[in-house]
This record gives sequence, C-alpha cells and structure tokens, in this order.
Amino acid sequence: MTERLALIEVLDRDGHVLRSADVLQWPFSIGRALNQQLVLDDPYVAAQHARVTQDDNGGLRLMVGDTDNGVRLQGRLHPRGSSVALVSPSTALQLGLTRLVLRQPGEALAPERPLPVQSLSSSRNAWLAALALLALVMADHALQLDPGADATAWLPVLVGTPGAIVAWCAIWALMSKLFQHRFDFLAHLWVALPWLLAIEAVEWVLPQLAAALGWPLLWRLVVPLQVLLVAILVRQHLALLLPQHARRMTLAVVMALLSGSAVILTFTHNATDRFSRPPYMSTLPLPAWQLATPQPAQALVQQLEGLTQGLQRRVAKARAEAAEAGEDPAAD
Amino acid sequence: MRTLLKTQDSQSSVGSGFLVEDGTLLVSNYHVVSQYALQPSRHRLVYSTVDGQQGALELLAFDVVHDLALLRLAQPDALAGRGAVKLRPADEALPRGARIFSLGNPLDVGFAVAEGTFNGQVERSFLPTLFFGGSLSAGMSGGPALDDEGRLVGVNVAARRDGEQVSFLVPAEFVRNLVASGRSKAPIVAPAWAEITRQLLQHEANLSGRFLQLPWREAGHALYRIPVPQEQFMRCWGRGSPQAVRGLQFERSDCEMDSRVFVSGSLLTGFITVRHEAYDGSKLGALRFSQRYSDSFRNEFIGLDDRQRTAGQCLEQTVGAASRGGRAGPAGGPEASARSAAANGLPLRAVVCLRAYKKLEGLYDLSVLVATLDKSTAGVQGRFDAFGVSLPSAQRLTQHYLDGFAWKTLRNGPALPNATP
Repeated sequence: MTERLALIEVLDRDGHVLRSADVLQWPFSIGRALNQQLVLDDPYVAAQHARVTQDDNGGLRLMVGDTDNGVRLQGRLHPRGSSVALVSPSTALQLGLTRLVLRQPGEALAPERPLPVQSLSSSRNAWLAALALLALVMADHALQLDPGADATAWLPVLVGTPGAIVAWCAIWALMSKLFQHRFDFLAHLWVALPWLLAIEAVEWVLPQLAAALGWPLLWRLVVPLQVLLVAILVRQHLALLLPQHARRMTLAVVMALLSGSAVILTFTHNATDRFSRPPYMSTLPLPAWQLATPQPAQALVQQLEGLTQGLQRRVAKARAEAAEAGEDPAAD
Repeated sequence: MRTLLKTQDSQSSVGSGFLVEDGTLLVSNYHVVSQYALQPSRHRLVYSTVDGQQGALELLAFDVVHDLALLRLAQPDALAGRGAVKLRPADEALPRGARIFSLGNPLDVGFAVAEGTFNGQVERSFLPTLFFGGSLSAGMSGGPALDDEGRLVGVNVAARRDGEQVSFLVPAEFVRNLVASGRSKAPIVAPAWAEITRQLLQHEANLSGRFLQLPWREAGHALYRIPVPQEQFMRCWGRGSPQAVRGLQFERSDCEMDSRVFVSGSLLTGFITVRHEAYDGSKLGALRFSQRYSDSFRNEFIGLDDRQRTAGQCLEQTVGAASRGGRAGPAGGPEASARSAAANGLPLRAVVCLRAYKKLEGLYDLSVLVATLDKSTAGVQGRFDAFGVSLPSAQRLTQHYLDGFAWKTLRNGPALPNATP
C-alpha cells in the first residue's frame, strides 16, 4: 500500500468533516474539473483552482491557479498565480465557499474529548445534584406553605420544577440538534443540574449567613452571585453546543454579562443612587443564629450625619441638572 | 382666581379669594397659587369678579403651613368701592352649630354661597383647623366662610370625600397674622423655595418638639414595650388577622396625622406616621415564622429618586434596647457601659433611611424600620416616618423611637431594672 503523505479534509458548514481525500503523491490538484485529484462541487471554485507541490527541500507550497476568487489561507487571501509556503503541519484553506484542512504528518493532535453523555455510574454526581436540588426546592415550598396545607398545594413544585428543568434542557437539546445533529438532552441535563443546585444553594445559605453575622454587603452579593452562576450555566450549555468554539462562547457570555450588568446597574443607580436595588438587608436571623453583637442605638443615630453628606451631593447634582435644563433656580 | 400659563393663557388652577383691609389686598389658599409661587416665570395670576371684571394679581406672601396666600391687585383702584371682608374678632367665640356661609366658585361653574354649620375645631389635628358642616367643592378653596354678620370665620381649604358635609376651614386668626406680616412686602417674582423651606423648618421644629415631649403610649403587648404615639394630634387604627387563620397571626396599629402641609401637587410634607405589627407564629414553627417575618420586613417601601426628593439611603445595625421603656443606658455614661447595656438588651434590627428634598434645603424624610430579634416564633416590626424634618430632629426622633422598644420583663427573670450596670 502506498504511504499517505497527507490528508485533505472537506468540512461542512458546522465544521464537521464531510469527506477526506488521501494525498498519495505531490503535486496534488484541487478544482472543479474532473481531472483534478480532489474535485469540489462548488460553483465558486475554478476548474483548476489550486495545487499543492513539494519543493526540493521537502517543504510544501500552495500554488493558486486560474481563479477569480483566489485561496484564503489562515484568513489571508492569495490571488491568482501567487504561491505560499505551507509551514504549519495543519493548515485551514478556503476555496470558494469550501473549507479544507490540509493535515500533514507531525501535526499536534488535540486530546481526546470525553463523550458528552457519560455512563450512568459516572453521572452519579448529577443524580445526587438532582435529588439535592429537588430537596431544596421542596424545602423552600414547605416553608411557604402553612402547616396542614392540602396535598394539592405541592403540585406546582412537584410538577413545575422538573417540568421547567426538562423544558430548559429540551430547548438546549434542540439547539444541539441544529448544530451537532444530535439531541443531547441528557448531556445538557447533566450540565444544568449542578449549576442550578449552586444557584439554589446560594439563595439558601448566603442571606441567612449575612443576617446571622449582620453583614449587609454579603447579603447584597446574593443576586450578583446568582447572575454569575446563571452566566456560567449558559456558557456550559453553549460549550456543549459548539465545542470547537468554546473560547468564543466564553467571550460572548462574558461580554453579555458585562453589558447586561452595566445596563442594569445604570438603571438601578438612576432610581436609587445605589448599585443594589434593595435599600437594606431584609433577611432577619433566627434568634439562635443571631451572632452580631447589638450596638447602642446612639451609635446608629450619630451616623445619620454621615448619611446626609451623600444625600447633599445628590441634591447638588440634581440642582446642577435642573439649572442645565433651564428650570427656575430653587432660590428666592 | 385663576393661575394661567403665561404662554397659552389657559388656566392651570382655579380657586376663590376675597378682598380684605382696604380693598386692594386679597386672601386665598396657598394651594390655589402654588404653581405661581414655585414657577413665577411660567405663570400669572388673575382675578375675575362675580360681575365679570378681570385683572392681574401679585403674590405678596404666603403661609404654606396653614395654606394661606396674600395677594394684591396689580391696579390698586381696579376694585375700588367694592368693600372688603372684615375678620370676626378672636375674642368672640362662635357657638357650635352656628350658621355660617361659605362663598366661592365651585368647579368653576359660578359664584355660589353654601350654607352650613360651625362645628368648632377639628379634634386631634396638629394644625388648628375648623370643622365646617357644609359642602365645599374644588374651586371654592380660598373663599371666605362668613358668620351671619358677614365677618370672616375661616377660609375654605378642604373637604373629606369619604363622608357627607365634612369640610374644613383655616381659622381667621392666621389670616390676620398673614395680612399683618405680608401687606407691605414686595411681590414675589422668583421661585419661593427658600421661603417655603424657612416656614417648613419652623413647622417641623414645632412638630418634632411637641412629639418628643409626649411619652409613648402602652401598646398592650405581653412581651414588649412598643412605641405607640399619644393621640393628641394623631389618629390610630388597629386591625388583626382572623383567629381561625392557620398561618401567621398578627395585630397591626397604624397611627397618622390628619394635618399635612401642601407644597405642590406632587408634594405633601410636614407630618408623622407610626405603625407596628405584632406577629405570633406559634402555629407555624421557627423556620416558617422566620421566613414570613423576613418577608414582612422586606415589604417596606423606601422612596426612589423623583423630582422632589432623592432616593432613600439607609443605615442598618443590630441595636440593643437596653432599658425598660426608657433611655438606653444612663445619659452621658461611659461608652463601655452603653455597649454592655446594648449587648444585654432587647436585640433589634434597626434600619434608618433618609431622603433629602432637592429644593427644600435641609429637609429630609425619615423612615425608621425596626424588627425584634429575640423570639423564634414571635416578634414585632415597627415603622416610624417623619416627612420634612431637619437632621437634628431626625436624630432625636430616631433615638426616641428606638428607645420606645424594650422587654417588659427579663427573659429569665424579674422585671428589668431601669439601668443596666
């Protein structure tokens, strides 16, 4: 059998390999004509579009043929008649609308990627997360209900919570079907469960801890932390959807998170002069968990003066804005 | 009397007024001319007599607290010979049930005389106000209420819409004071925020001073001393949850002042409200009670930024109410002693919020929220609001309110001594 010198892969629109052609000798011709070694069925490709040759030193060169569209190599367009050395052992080319990858011996292979759907034993943690999540949601619902509530009062949480999670994962699985051509429901479910559990756990633990310690700042972190966890959850789903673009997905989620946060913080600040909407920590500690030492009321009263300084700055700003808008000055 | 938009000549408010003194001065309500007082560059004031004569008016002075305004004819002799309303002497008390006649221009329909009875002073009103048993409609504001000799008893100011013939008059004595102090003043041509601020600061000092002098009333709670105001100038309403309710049981008390000061259509100020809810969660258990107790504490609105006031900014702290219904520790005592007393006192979560008035410099809305933290299935949450107070008053009122909370007895022992060592 003749030794394979290289491999040329033709990619589909999702970046998956559509077919591949063995290169058994140099030069290797690519085009739409039947006499080419790799025939591309692409109306934007010329009859003799390109040729890969080997020079005296054994290095490969791409010779661009008689084409109007040229060849795009690593993002750069090479016009008709030009030639370029192919240094990298794995080179991405675009001829017309067709994307190719030229793979040579010695290329560095990416490590084997784990299958998205793992075996049942390795997904034990996911099941545990599911149970813990359901337990937390049920406990939350139990607290909302008065003692002796009717059994039907449990229906919303027993049906609604699993239903909502299934619907969420089904939407992601449908998107997987679009991009990956497979309905990855379980994979998305396994991604969602631990993060949903983390979001719910933050809701349970942090407000109580903040109330017990008397730390309003910690209490104010609950919502931002949950938003961050939701962003991570979405990023994980996206990485499953488009594993080859995981870094871009991370970047997109970070950008969305930053711009969304900026918009919300701006609106919040306009309405409240704070970056957190609740004006005070509203969670009250259980007496047994009340760890903050009560202070004399006088200390709180004395701090009021400091509060007015910030308010007066806001008043001065409002007056400056009113003057700019041409309103009557607030003076006699 | 009409307030007109300068650019359109369309009326933005309609009220009534009457001539006093030499027939060149008019009295009306502040709220009839408030748009002019706050934005004189955009408005002008005109009168229109019963027989159709019209002319311009100048605003000389106002009493924002009692809702009165003093105006002058721009052409002094325009209404010459029409006479003026005389004030009923202060020492001639009018008997309850006496007939009086309220004059005005109801709903801008036309001049009307409404007959009714004089019913003395409104009870539990901080600002002296007369109770007129007759009908007042919008547009009659600022008109005179006269006795059967045509002398001024009061000035039409307001009416309750949830009752029949329950209307209110500003007593004539405040008209007398305003005329005396304002007759020789120069007309107001710039926004009068500074003068309104001055009058409101005087009012709040008076209100806070009187409020602070009154001891708190007993709320009748088994465990706690809860601050409930005396009802000299406040009215308290109570309600509770039905006994059969499985969940959280509560009793609620709402105390409010009737008297409020009108500054503009979007700003009423100069009053105090006090509220508390006593919760019993013995049917719920500690965890469920804690959840509902926190929900209730969250359900308090602290104002957002608007045209008149800044958004509320809050301080929060766990404080100890140290003594039995009195001051928290000996006044001027060592700081360590106060700290120790607080640490051993009734633990309260206290939130104190202030909103600053953007155009009334030095005035704030104060809100104090309090929740007791010592019981796992019972508690009291209180809210104290003072609208339009200075910083020193806000500090004193906050201290006064927080001092109003205490245990009735020690948790595991006899009645609490007055001062904890």
